[in-house]
Amino acid sequence: MSLKVKAGLKDLVKATCEKAYPEEGCGLLLGPVPDDFDKQGRVVVADEARPLPNGWDSSSKTNRYLIDPRMLAKVEAELSGSGRAVVGFFHSHPNHPAWPSPFDLMMAWPCLSYWIVRVQDGKLSDSRSWQRTEDSRSFIEEEILEA
Amino acid sequence: MSIEIRLPTALRVFADKQDKIEVDAKTVGAALDQMFGRHDRLKAQLLGPDGKLRSFVNVYVNEDDARDKQGLNTPVKDGDTVLIVPAIAGGSTVAEVELDKAELIRYNRHIILPEVGLEGQKKLKSSAVLCIGAGGLGSPLALYLAAAGVGRIGIVDFDVVDASNLQRQILHDTPSVGTPKLQSAKKRLQALNPHVQVETYEERLTSANAVELFRKYDVIADGTDNFPTRYLVNDACVLTGKPNAYGSIFRFEGQLAVFGAKDGPCYRCLYPEPPPPGLVPSCAEGGVLGVLPGVIGTMQAIETIKLILGIGRPLVGRLMLYDALEQSWRTLKVKRNPACPVCGDNPTIKAPIDYEAFCGLKEKPANMIPEISVEELKAKLDKKESFVLLDVREQHEYDIARIPGSKLIPLGELDKRVQELDKKSKLIVHCKMGGRSARAVQFLRAQGYDATNVAGGIHDWSEKIDPSVPLY
Repeated sequence: MSLKVKAGLKDLVKATCEKAYPEEGCGLLLGPVPDDFDKQGRVVVADEARPLPNGWDSSSKTNRYLIDPRMLAKVEAELSGSGRAVVGFFHSHPNHPAWPSPFDLMMAWPCLSYWIVRVQDGKLSDSRSWQRTEDSRSFIEEEILEA
Repeated sequence: MSIEIRLPTALRVFADKQDKIEVDAKTVGAALDQMFGRHDRLKAQLLGPDGKLRSFVNVYVNEDDARDKQGLNTPVKDGDTVLIVPAIAGGSTVAEVELDKAELIRYNRHIILPEVGLEGQKKLKSSAVLCIGAGGLGSPLALYLAAAGVGRIGIVDFDVVDASNLQRQILHDTPSVGTPKLQSAKKRLQALNPHVQVETYEERLTSANAVELFRKYDVIADGTDNFPTRYLVNDACVLTGKPNAYGSIFRFEGQLAVFGAKDGPCYRCLYPEPPPPGLVPSCAEGGVLGVLPGVIGTMQAIETIKLILGIGRPLVGRLMLYDALEQSWRTLKVKRNPACPVCGDNPTIKAPIDYEAFCGLKEKPANMIPEISVEELKAKLDKKESFVLLDVREQHEYDIARIPGSKLIPLGELDKRVQELDKKSKLIVHCKMGGRSARAVQFLRAQGYDATNVAGGIHDWSEKIDPSVPLY
């Protein structure tokens, strides 16, 4: 199981999340729709990242992020029929480990890659990607491959 | 014609890779039911064990969120599109703290308040407050924050406990006189509540370190006693978007406000300019009723906790004035100044500035009196030049660290003991940092002595010349 990211994409994720610090930064990962999306061992290719504003209310942006569903629907509609789609999301954990939190698990969708970066004191210090299991009980870490 | 349900990419694998499913139904709920009848795996993803849509599933009918209409009962007609859109949300573990049994017992009187409750107590535990100063205001403030269970309490202070502090600074006690304030503060707070983390910064808050430090905390509580630091705290709060639970005291009067909150005024909106140096005496010079910081610091703790919990009406846009002699409170309205250089519509201050210069403290007499560096002092001592090295610090400071061969006369006793000094000998005067000795030199020169100041004081001596002299 792995997330293959295009060269330069990590720089955009890093810049977005460092800029958002101390709040959480977030955005979409786009790429070709994998045939085996729900299979263990699948490889997701992300060739584009789209940073989005953190839509959570201002009281908890330092430990919460929200992607506006309308914005997501718009991108899905735009990509419909193109063979490409939203294949995952990235978000940051300011001063906290790049592991999914219980809240991440509660809100997680299947198949998609959840790329979490730790931003420690304003600088990216860890980067890990996760996929939720179909029974929605846990996350499994996947390898991030930089193409 | 029929109704089209559109699925997000992540769900298509549970519906034979289709991106849309056509159904015939009168309501959103019935449309979804038809879809679940055909695709069982999809049902498990979208519905919780209670048979209701999971909280992170959004259903739109054409452009509208079904929640804003009649939920699953929202009517649909032929040609409508039902859109299933994930709410993509998550976040770090901060709010996922748990309270153990001992904490549940300790915080019981909070937890049974509906306005606080278990959720609120967890919020307190996962929050972090930075107290600027461990003095009169910082004492009750930090004590109540620790007692209330604020998870991380940072304190910035570089002072040493002086016997004259104990009249009001209840974090410290008699045995801690002469030791760093942070040491006694940490000990006291940890003894009060071992469940909270006390983070100490034994350094001066400066334009170079403030912004980085503030970013690590949720609320800043300013309990400083001088104008340069007060403006620095204000600006750094605005720049980092952190609210400042501000308090100040003087003699029998206190001030209280929350500055730097979103859409609220900052300290500069109220006081664009600092008073001329020397006009407003500090507590050390003007005195203060010992209980007064107890009142104001406690009120700062209340505002801080309200900000963390998001309850009540924070003191934003209002300045409260307390008069202990009259036993009265007055509240004044303070508006955000659109022309404010830091929080206004077109801010010109985008990073901390030089606050000593801003407050006019750089034009102090030190510039007009003869001054030597610690290196020059060392050279004079090595050459065995003839002079008296006068130390104007307090006895307890002298006990901690001294330059060999110095004569101690604390600044406060200098006018009474000046005759102990010989007008024929050359005087070289030092203190801890060079400030008090500058005043001593000014005084001595006015009395006809040949006195020279040591810039940087024993602090510089210890750093640059003799590291065996303790820094304190």
